[in-house]
Amino acid sequence: MIPEPKPRRPDASMTLITSMLERPLDPGYQQAADRRAAAGLPPATSTRTAVVIAMMVVTGFLFATGAQALRAAPTAAASVKSELVGRIETLQAQGQGQEATIAELRKQVSELEALALQQAGAADLTDTITQLEMFAGYTAMRGSGLTLTVGDAPSADADSDTGSRPSSGFDSGRVTSSDLQIIVNGLWGVGAEAIAINGHRLTSTAAIRFAGQAIIVDFRPLTPPYVITALGDAARMQQLFEPSFAGVYLAQLGEQFGITSELTAGDGLTVPADSLTRLTSAKPLDGGVTTRSATTGPVTSGTDGSSLGPDPGEQQGTEETTR
Amino acid sequence: MIPALGLLVGLTIGLLLDPAVPVWMQPYLPIAVIAALDAVFGAVRAVLDGIFNDKVFVVSFLSNVIVAAFIVFLGDQLGVGSQLSTGVVVVLGVRIFSNVASIRRHLFKA
Repeated sequence: MIPEPKPRRPDASMTLITSMLERPLDPGYQQAADRRAAAGLPPATSTRTAVVIAMMVVTGFLFATGAQALRAAPTAAASVKSELVGRIETLQAQGQGQEATIAELRKQVSELEALALQQAGAADLTDTITQLEMFAGYTAMRGSGLTLTVGDAPSADADSDTGSRPSSGFDSGRVTSSDLQIIVNGLWGVGAEAIAINGHRLTSTAAIRFAGQAIIVDFRPLTPPYVITALGDAARMQQLFEPSFAGVYLAQLGEQFGITSELTAGDGLTVPADSLTRLTSAKPLDGGVTTRSATTGPVTSGTDGSSLGPDPGEQQGTEETTR
Repeated sequence: MIPALGLLVGLTIGLLLDPAVPVWMQPYLPIAVIAALDAVFGAVRAVLDGIFNDKVFVVSFLSNVIVAAFIVFLGDQLGVGSQLSTGVVVVLGVRIFSNVASIRRHLFKA
């Protein structure tokens, strides 16, 4: 009779994993215990020997060192980051202070202009100038209108579902610059007279762009939520905006990507002046005024001598004489 | 109890001294910590099994740490350092898990 060979384990090809899972303890312990038992000693040694204690001290040291060494880098980066944040905030505060100064100076200038025009006998021009300044975003405005708040989808920070937004590379739940462009153009289209986003006036030269992850309006980065204030006939604008292309687009953004938006009408809304407005061209006014007083010809709201008027010399002269 | 005190003393020394770890040593530190954890849990299990041996503990501790660091070093030289680190972490992690499971069975009989 031939002895039957020992049956092969069905998982013999996985002995590595089996031994790892079933015998995680170092086999040395069992062997040492067996040797000690054979020599007539108790199988386990004391855990209070000097070697063990020294080893535990080393282990604790290793853990503490590891924890500190591996945590040091992020804290260094964080301190740099907080310093940068502080610097940015300081500079922003400084910039706001200077914008306030600009607004104050501009008010003085317009007062002086009005005075000068009055003295020169061209008071009727003041209305024209006021209206032009209004359209140019040169003066702060106040009145009834719409407030549209647009915000990123609540899950925009997490890995949200990848939509087929044309803004590839961005989270689909984020408001993009082109969304804002479409919305703002829609608001202009339904008769808004002045628009500001997050307190920044939009003028005819203002651009809404993307820089990295931030939306830049007129070279100033904005953070969500984006509050768009549009002055005008509130009821009519709301009625027209919702079925318009921009309104439908906004509704779709909400449905498909979870972008939040809220449209409310309100009274007493304010839209600030655009502090970046500057005179880029000026031309003499033809007609009535020149006949009355030749020197009041080029009626401008010029604030700086570097304006690109067709005849800067005369313009500066005008400023002199009308004062 | 006394070894646990030793661990606390070591932790305190490390936290107080806050030694600067050379940059070249930093990739090996996490691996060494995990290897040490493995040895410590193995030792706790051996104590509970009643077969603890101080010499085996020290030797297994040192060899674990050194071999793990060596594997990572070799991997770095061969350009597969992160993959080998993952391998070491997986193997030692599985061992830590089953040792802790065994300790749990000893302590809670569950």
